[in-house]
Amino acid sequence: MKYILPKHELNALLERWSAEYAVLAPQKAGAYSEFLPFTAPSELCLEEPHNTRYPPKALFFPQSEAILKYKQNLGQLESIEAVPQKRVIFGIRPCDAKAVTLLDTVFAEGDNQDPFWLARRAETLLIGLGCNEPGATCFCTSTESGPFHTDGLDALLTDLGGEYLIELLSERAVGLFGGLTPANPTQQESVQNLQQAAEQALPKAFELDGLKDKLDRVFDQDVWAQLSESCLGCGICTFLCPTCFCFDLVDEAQRDTRVRNWDTCMFRVYSLEASAHNPRPTRKERTRQRLMHKYSYWWEHAGKLGCTGCGRCVRYCPVGLDIRAMLRKASAYESEALHAN
Amino acid sequence: MTELEAKIRTEAARLLSEGLVDVVVAFRKEDAPLRPQPAFFTNVEDLENLVYNGLCANNLANYLTRFPQETRIGMLVRGCENRSVNALVVEKQHSREKLTLIGIPCTGIIDWRKVVALTGEDILAYEDSAHTLTVRARHQTFALPRQELLHSSCLRCVHPNPLSADILLGEMLPEGDPALIRERVESFEALTRAERTAYFKQEAERCIRCYACREACPMCYCEECFVDHNTPRWTESGTTPAGTHAWHIIRAFHQTGRCTSCGACERACPMDIQMTYLTDKLGKDMWDSYQFAAGMDDQTQPPFASFTLDDKKHFQVGGKQS
Repeated sequence: MKYILPKHELNALLERWSAEYAVLAPQKAGAYSEFLPFTAPSELCLEEPHNTRYPPKALFFPQSEAILKYKQNLGQLESIEAVPQKRVIFGIRPCDAKAVTLLDTVFAEGDNQDPFWLARRAETLLIGLGCNEPGATCFCTSTESGPFHTDGLDALLTDLGGEYLIELLSERAVGLFGGLTPANPTQQESVQNLQQAAEQALPKAFELDGLKDKLDRVFDQDVWAQLSESCLGCGICTFLCPTCFCFDLVDEAQRDTRVRNWDTCMFRVYSLEASAHNPRPTRKERTRQRLMHKYSYWWEHAGKLGCTGCGRCVRYCPVGLDIRAMLRKASAYESEALHAN
Repeated sequence: MTELEAKIRTEAARLLSEGLVDVVVAFRKEDAPLRPQPAFFTNVEDLENLVYNGLCANNLANYLTRFPQETRIGMLVRGCENRSVNALVVEKQHSREKLTLIGIPCTGIIDWRKVVALTGEDILAYEDSAHTLTVRARHQTFALPRQELLHSSCLRCVHPNPLSADILLGEMLPEGDPALIRERVESFEALTRAERTAYFKQEAERCIRCYACREACPMCYCEECFVDHNTPRWTESGTTPAGTHAWHIIRAFHQTGRCTSCGACERACPMDIQMTYLTDKLGKDMWDSYQFAAGMDDQTQPPFASFTLDDKKHFQVGGKQS
């Protein structure tokens, strides 16, 4: 069922939820927005064309997290309990919500049952906000996602100007919203038109069909050197990425704590071995790893694409590298250079 | 193509075709709106992709240390880039004889985030002229006063002209007012200790330790950065206050007498963290104590990298005071 929520009633709703849940929403933080505990409607950033700068994966998988306490000399271990938190994450964009479901395949499938991830996932509702006007760096429609996709969401809101149309997608969401006015056929139709227009406005960034095979075939080709020549080797693209999940375990000996920190394949030290050998010695191999992981290896490991087209890596790359163009170039190289011989 | 762009392409083509350089380091047409990319040109045909405008945001001197010492590099340099090249030559990172500097007096780098804040992201085309940036967005065309879009470091720039270019393109510009950078440092110095601490914490604690500031900085070229060292480890590893404070303090003081105030660190930062207030303070101290500014020539060692018997030792009991 689809319902209507007048915008002026949003504040009361968020306040009602706040009594029972920790409510997190995109709020102003300097020149950008960030998921923060809801304080006031004036602080909300729901009108922006795209998502928060820092990815909401951090709400489930914090960048630095203590996972174990120990007493070095006594050999005593003290586990840190994962504490379930009752939370509503309001205003998450479809690309970021889908990313959370992709990370489930890393932290909550098969033998991999990460207690910290599971505890946070179990008690958190994701209330999404669709994107009427996706940004120029967005490319979700090229990555099996879309500005109104519902993967991972408990409910999806569509902005109709004066009100939101709400699609309830889980039992828990029904309880959360309750007592809403059903949308009339005109409203339902205008939402459908709006959603279609938004999808169509996004040009296809690259041809996904056959891309994995093409990338696999150019693995050892020079094209990666060209694509990565200006790469700085910083961690922006991976740290801001909603699906990158690599981490490093570090013993902070002075604090008797084992910490899990985000790590990134873009750093030289990521693949540096104790012998001083580095199997990915230059930016060429590291750039290749980033693209191949998302567009080839994810298919092999999880049967899914590892990118949701959120566009953060494009938007914030300090040298203007654009993963869409990189994929197009690698793909063209496969078609032209390899087949020419 | 602008007149200046045409001149740069002509010079780059001449250097490459006459075999005077192995590579020209400049900027390439963007893939993402407003974001021209640093690029290495090795053949003349590729130069049709060379662009130059106010949105070319990176300090190209950063790429100097990517090349072996014997590579003959042609490099586009604005005022700050030329000074960074000088500082790198002083530190023997490349021999000056192997460099051909194509100098451009700089009217300041446009901060793309300031543009997008006004126009939105959906930009179809733009044109950068002397005083105006014209942006054609999906729904509207904007004519924006250039001066209001400049990056904060550029607004305080003292030396916009390349100091030691081999080829100079464009008209020399008047020097900037050194009072601007000094006043900013003095206003920070004037804060109480608690206020300075609060400001430092507010900036440093947003850090996500992506090290874009390090990677964008021409002077951060260590094979192994102190934060990556693990035997012993010098700083806490995570994004805790202890970890981010250590990074920002040590990163800054490693720049003493070396930073040319180009602002590349802040332009790269994904979290809008202010960093130049620290490095500019160190720059002011170097000037006040030693009348030294980094990169003004390619010979003079920074005071902290040199030793003479006449050195001041005012920090030492019984040491020479002036």
